[in-house]
Amino acid sequence: MLEAKGLRMQYGARTVLDVPQLSVDDGACTVLVGANGSGKTTLLRILAGQLKPTAGTFSAPQPVLYLPQRTYAFRGTVLQNILIGMKNKKEDALSLLDRMELTPLLQKQARSLSGGELQRLAFCRLVLRDCKLLLLDEPTSACDTHAAALLLQELQRYRKAQNCTVLLSTHSRAVAAQIADRCLLLENGCITADGTPQEIWQNVPLMEDA
Amino acid sequence: MDAFRQAIHLLITLDPELLQILGVTMRMSFFSTTISCLIGLPLGTLLGTHSFRGKAFLKKLLHTLMGLPPVVAGLLVYALFTHYGPFGTLNLLFTVRVMVIAQCLLITPVVTGLCASYMEQSATGILETARGMGLPSSRVLLLCLSESRTSLLSVVLNAFGRSIAEVGAVSIVGGNIQWKTRVMTTAIMLETNKGNFSFALALGFILLLLAFLVNVAASLIVKEVRYA
Repeated sequence: MLEAKGLRMQYGARTVLDVPQLSVDDGACTVLVGANGSGKTTLLRILAGQLKPTAGTFSAPQPVLYLPQRTYAFRGTVLQNILIGMKNKKEDALSLLDRMELTPLLQKQARSLSGGELQRLAFCRLVLRDCKLLLLDEPTSACDTHAAALLLQELQRYRKAQNCTVLLSTHSRAVAAQIADRCLLLENGCITADGTPQEIWQNVPLMEDA
Repeated sequence: MDAFRQAIHLLITLDPELLQILGVTMRMSFFSTTISCLIGLPLGTLLGTHSFRGKAFLKKLLHTLMGLPPVVAGLLVYALFTHYGPFGTLNLLFTVRVMVIAQCLLITPVVTGLCASYMEQSATGILETARGMGLPSSRVLLLCLSESRTSLLSVVLNAFGRSIAEVGAVSIVGGNIQWKTRVMTTAIMLETNKGNFSFALALGFILLLLAFLVNVAASLIVKEVRYA
């Protein structure tokens, strides 16, 4: 179980995250929603171990994989990128790239991909590995509807296979509705609503689809 | 034109003194650049990618040292290695070794500072993505270095450029001794002082050619290093 207590992140006098208590059940998919600057990325980065909180503790199931919002395309082709540290999984990689409709781009330089293509590649690079906690920061923000659907479909498949906990941030109501077991609304660094996607969008009038 | 002709003549006739000076220059620059990079690149990487108490002060100190005047560095090393200095018994003064030490003092802060700046600006994305993929720390570092190799090459070439062009520190600690510690820059200075402007200019052309060849070779090496 993912548990956090008293998590706080401050930059000088400015508090960007203040989460007194957070529990996420094993195997659940929790979606973080909230306006820009509400603390979604900060929370994910802390849980991924990329950022040290000013205060608080958390325990997370291991291993953890994290997809940053602005992912990086390493030098080399799409295939070389996906096989970083996973050279023994070439067959799995090829079949994954096929499902994600990236096969025609296999030999293309990863740095020449479009934003949506790069997001799909970065997602593939991650889900080729095993994990118990998957943290995704706006994984479909640059994808078109079809690409987003492919990615979410693959995410569901991965969840089932790994039985891992997923924490994902998004601005998209469609993404949340499709995948979330639970939705958390973040406002000014605090969790202000907790419920199903329907409850969040119905009961919080300010929450608009991005 | 006369200087240019003279430079070609010196190279074609394989002038023994010129070859000896070139050898000392290359040896000194190679070792000082290598040592500085071995110290400066890991330090710069650490400084650029980690946050810790006192980092701001350390960066200020580093920026100050980046502007350390060569003659001051030369004097400092001279004081350390002179007969009455703390390292006087090593008898290193007026040798190529002490010239390398003086140059390391000058170049290491430059390498560290430039590497830290690059890492701060550009490596964050690489590190975040690589760590997010659950790669072990050693693999993350290798990936980071591999991805940054073009920028790091610029740092290395900058260090080499500073080393090969440096005159103040090496003339103080090396003494510009013929057939022993004379390097291209001190030779140029000497010839200029003697009034042999065209010969000094010829040496300058050769120095420039040397720097150009090293740059070309380094670029080719980086191109050849394939993504691991």
